[in-house]
Amino acid sequence: MLEVADRPVSPDDNAPASTGGSPIAMNVVNRWVPHNIVMLDSWFPVAHDYSVSGKPVRRAIYSHPIFLWRDNGVAVASEFHPNERIARDKSAHTDARGRYPVMEHYGVVWVWLGNPLAADPRHLPSLPFLPPQGGLPRHMTATVRFESSAPISLENLIDLTHADFLHADVVGDERSDSETVETYYDSETVTMVRTCVNKSVAPVMKFFSGIKQPTQNVRQVIRIYLRSHCAIAYGRFSPGDDVPLFHPCTPETRDRTRMEMVMNTSNAGRMFRHVMPKAGYKVSRQDSYMTSPQSPRYMRHTDRKDLHSKFDQAGQRYRMAMMELAERQAKGDFAYRDNVSDDCSEIIGLRKELFQF
Amino acid sequence: MSLATDLWWAVARSEEVTSKKPLSVDIGDQPVVLWRDNQGIARALEDRCPHRRAPLSLGCVRDNGLIQCGYHGWSYDGETGRLKEIPNMKDQQKFPPIYKANAFGVSEQAGFVRVCLNPKAEAPLSADPKYTYVGTVNVSCSHQEYLNALYDDPALVIAIRGVRFSPYLMAELHEEGGMLVMERNCQWNPLHWPSHFVAEFPLTLLTRTHPSTGETQLTLRDDQFNDLLHAVLSPVPSARGVTAVRWRAEMGVRHPGVRGAILRGINPLSVLATIDGSKLRTTKPTVSLHGEDLRATMLDAPHSAQDQTQAA
Ligand code: FES
Ligand SMILES: [Fe+2]
Repeated sequence: MLEVADRPVSPDDNAPASTGGSPIAMNVVNRWVPHNIVMLDSWFPVAHDYSVSGKPVRRAIYSHPIFLWRDNGVAVASEFHPNERIARDKSAHTDARGRYPVMEHYGVVWVWLGNPLAADPRHLPSLPFLPPQGGLPRHMTATVRFESSAPISLENLIDLTHADFLHADVVGDERSDSETVETYYDSETVTMVRTCVNKSVAPVMKFFSGIKQPTQNVRQVIRIYLRSHCAIAYGRFSPGDDVPLFHPCTPETRDRTRMEMVMNTSNAGRMFRHVMPKAGYKVSRQDSYMTSPQSPRYMRHTDRKDLHSKFDQAGQRYRMAMMELAERQAKGDFAYRDNVSDDCSEIIGLRKELFQF
Repeated sequence: MSLATDLWWAVARSEEVTSKKPLSVDIGDQPVVLWRDNQGIARALEDRCPHRRAPLSLGCVRDNGLIQCGYHGWSYDGETGRLKEIPNMKDQQKFPPIYKANAFGVSEQAGFVRVCLNPKAEAPLSADPKYTYVGTVNVSCSHQEYLNALYDDPALVIAIRGVRFSPYLMAELHEEGGMLVMERNCQWNPLHWPSHFVAEFPLTLLTRTHPSTGETQLTLRDDQFNDLLHAVLSPVPSARGVTAVRWRAEMGVRHPGVRGAILRGINPLSVLATIDGSKLRTTKPTVSLHGEDLRATMLDAPHSAQDQTQAA
């Protein structure tokens, strides 16, 4: 039996802050146009640190060109290629030399898009399962692309019920004795926690982790940082492993998404540790089978509302929170009302003892 | 393109619509999913799940005849489009009436599945002839241009083995019983004389086209008025200016001699999947120019033009 709940992280203090003072009506949420949402004043993960070297590599955020290279070992993010004969105007997102604010953390290169003067490491999303200085082996990382808008990919991630259909071969039949879904949100994040008691063991786990029992208890968390379009997907399986995944959906354009994935499988068995990050390739192809045709259908406004069920609560909350933030930005309010760099170990239920850095 | 909503479009051949796998087709820019339910009835819904807009044609047909979306497994009834089931929601399986996908009218006759965007429209009646040869092609050419090509030079879009279409008409495009009708002289291949110097033509190709849908009956006749070949060609405007063409053909009377034998071998009719662009752009609009005017007049006088009865 499924139980669902949806609540602000801090229900009492400054309640208006979490809704931005203008609650978005359900009707609007069900007709949202994610293609039109552009988030600024945010750190976006653009590359694994090892992909940036002396030779410039090209990235984009909302089609703004970004060239990344290292100068004496320090990452540089420029809107111009060093060999470019500059024939276009500098954007407002960079300094006098055309450079974006850039930082390296968690083994990932982050670029700030927005007002460069507002860039502040305090606005970097908390990812407490990744070593702050990076250094995880490369087989725990991957790059995946989606031909859909980043919010569509994130909505797919926070949506539970598609797994039975798209990923049945990976996750199994999704049967369990009881299931609880809770959603927590503030002005910058949406977190969904799903708890299943005695769930059938996923085929991948049976095979690669050698789980002999027929069922396991599962706690799955999806936490989305709205502005950066970054997500944490954290599964705790008992018996089984703890597999936290960094699942960013960087909007390289408004309808093409790049995912510089990091799965910290350091605590898992040897087989699982190597194989699981690769499952991302398969799972993402399965997802894009639906998200690719979906995405163009969300590019224009329509009067027809999407239908939903109680399983969509977290997804609805995600849409609402995104629209509220976008509405605030449209009015020129780029302030962070909640701190995204606060350690989120507790809210995602991270077993800290396994992730000491 | 905007299309009249009460037209019946032959969007599929009967055998293309199964319970194995949903079929995706279009009527203009409207995507449509077709399948056959557990009673064998062909069904048509908008190819867009009202939950998260995934194409229903990526889903599957269940044993109970419902179509199931492949994304989250919502199941819909084909007749009404109503949502019947959400997986893992055994406690609530009654949904408010707005929980539905758009349903379209479906009618299946003479080997074609016809769909009307207006679910309340009355289905046309048609004869039920037997057709041995069938096919489907998607031609990247607009619906009107496709018909114009058929009128101006059938060789741009079809071929009949052993037969050559002459540029000489026996009857120009005219109205007959609400249809656009014309007749073109044809010769056997290879030629003895170029058509300009021939006193009598041995064959004619008669075409009867519905002015709105462009569905066309083709009849190849010899000079003794024997029907040698009969075919139905159904061009349907589809996404991105493509025209989807379904066709069925049947041999008629046997023409004596070697030529008749050649025609009667394996399927004599080919409906071409591509149009030669350089030929198309230099083909003079000899029939179609007048045809467009005529068609416009007929569509302005709805009493004669809207009759879709197949007088096969
Ligand atoms: S999109 Fe069809 S069931 Fe969700
Ligand atoms: Fe997925």
